[in-house]
Amino acid sequence: MITRRYLIVRSSYALATAMIAITLNFLLPRLIPGNPAAVILFANYHYLPPGKVKLLDSEFGLTTNNLGIEYLDYLKQLFLHFNLGVSFSYYPATVANLIETHLPWTLYLLGVSTLVSSVLGVITGRWIGWRAGSRGESVTSSIFIGLTSLPYFWLAIIFILVFAFMIPIFPLSGSFSITIIPGPTLAFLGSVITHSLLPIITIVITTFPAFALTMRNTMVNQNKEDYLLMAKAKGLPKNVIEKRYAARNAILPVTTHIVLAFGYIVSGAFFVEVVFSYQGIGYLLYKAVTSYDYPLVDGIFLMITITVIIANFVADLLYAILDPRVELR
Amino acid sequence: MIGNYNPENTNIQASELPPVKENLLVQIWHNRKARTGIMIIGFFAIFGIIGQIHTPYPASFDNFPTWLPPSAKHWFGTDYDGHDVFSQFMYGTGVSLYVGAAVALIAVSLGTMAGLVSGYYGGIVDNALMRFVDILLILPTFPLLVILSTYFKPTVTSTIIVIGILSWPFMARVIRSQILTVKQRPFVQASILAGMPGYQIMLKEIFKFTLPLIIINAVYIFVGAIVAQAGLAFFGLGDLASINWGTMLYYAQSQDAVIYYAWWWIVPPGLSIAILGIAANFFGNGITEVFGERAGEV
Repeated sequence: MITRRYLIVRSSYALATAMIAITLNFLLPRLIPGNPAAVILFANYHYLPPGKVKLLDSEFGLTTNNLGIEYLDYLKQLFLHFNLGVSFSYYPATVANLIETHLPWTLYLLGVSTLVSSVLGVITGRWIGWRAGSRGESVTSSIFIGLTSLPYFWLAIIFILVFAFMIPIFPLSGSFSITIIPGPTLAFLGSVITHSLLPIITIVITTFPAFALTMRNTMVNQNKEDYLLMAKAKGLPKNVIEKRYAARNAILPVTTHIVLAFGYIVSGAFFVEVVFSYQGIGYLLYKAVTSYDYPLVDGIFLMITITVIIANFVADLLYAILDPRVELR
Repeated sequence: MIGNYNPENTNIQASELPPVKENLLVQIWHNRKARTGIMIIGFFAIFGIIGQIHTPYPASFDNFPTWLPPSAKHWFGTDYDGHDVFSQFMYGTGVSLYVGAAVALIAVSLGTMAGLVSGYYGGIVDNALMRFVDILLILPTFPLLVILSTYFKPTVTSTIIVIGILSWPFMARVIRSQILTVKQRPFVQASILAGMPGYQIMLKEIFKFTLPLIIINAVYIFVGAIVAQAGLAFFGLGDLASINWGTMLYYAQSQDAVIYYAWWWIVPPGLSIAILGIAANFFGNGITEVFGERAGEV
């Protein structure tokens, strides 16, 4: 049950964390000793074009010497105008604009793979959890532990090597074929789907085992509960006990785990995007990092952090709504 | 870490347990999962240490023909620049494991201290520390690592410090809750009544109960740090001149190893990370089983 107090406590955490991230974002460019604009320019171009220092200064909002005023100005720009600054490497595109054009690809990749891997995780977890202690279960669990330990990006490279080069059944890279003009056509849609299959498979394979193992553990715990003993005593078919009784209760903690794991899936998707040159936020971040595009890195950091904070908040609420027995602080 | 482990200090419920019949280390060794984990991690550790002293060819020697497949002369072939991949892998193993161990040392010290202080003293200190932990746990680690490494030119040491500082919160929380339960035990209450100073109670009476948790967490943090460092390096963040598993994969990706079908360059570092992950899980599960059995002996 969600009490008013619970809601206030949780949302204040979320807000505090968001403020820390925002403040960090504000402070980092200012923590570099000396004039950040000059330092950055010199580090990357080894000379100081006079106009650019001024431009960078105003980009960073370094127009006054008063940190407090700069901070207020930064907050005003952020909240009132959603102004995250202008990208260096994609000049004159704004950071907000770049995020906007790359975000749909990441959302699509993340949405589909999270959905598939949670459903797959719950089903396989239910299966192994119900058979805990058997030979089949211990082999499957060990394989799952192995799969969760695979680095995303490494699996992605291996998949490209095997399924795009050795047995070329999947396209090598990109979000869609460059020979097709983007538009609401069947050919474009088909190209988008074939290009996303291998990245999605990579993310699913490395994430679903974690969900399955959580589901397994909660299923095992259900076995100790009295209501299951009762169901068995009534002589209900095993199949029904497994799916209608145990799994229904076991799924609660898994639901929150899935929402909480969102942060990990996001960074996992980033690696996969980089390897597949998939035009999402992760690829954009990679480009920004390698070209020292500080405003873009900052903007993406802020966006991801806020997203993950919201996911956490949602997980907290979900937990309270789904399981009325739990009374949380 | 396990070498200095005093078996008499670790029985989970010292006050209630019968005298320990068997040496703890022996008991851990007899657990099949724990043993497998130790052996795998030990193998990599020895391999990495040897790699610091001797490799078949100097790790940075780059005058071999490029893109050679594995052969008797080059076990793991050669890369885009004519390095011997096996020599690089051998040397890099040491660096990657060093990063993991150093991070584990930092994070375990911070996490244990925070957990101890927070759990033992309670009150304002506990509240402040745990709210801080809550916030650190919500912040997504990877993007934070990326942004910090973008602003501060990373070296291997700075990467270690940053990952270390971000890795302790979860552990602190686990240790704190363990201490909250231990604190209720009669012998701790007796020490408090007897007027024993707080730090002495913490170190002499309570600390030993957190050891299993510390060991398990240390191993997970160790492997987690290796993965995090490899991930950062793969993103082009980190000291790219240093040879380790992460930079090997970074160059394999940026020099298009797949186009040359150079699986011999890609497979060893990634597979090693995965195997270490499995070893950590085995070890963790094994230790849990051993201490579970011990607690069950009451």
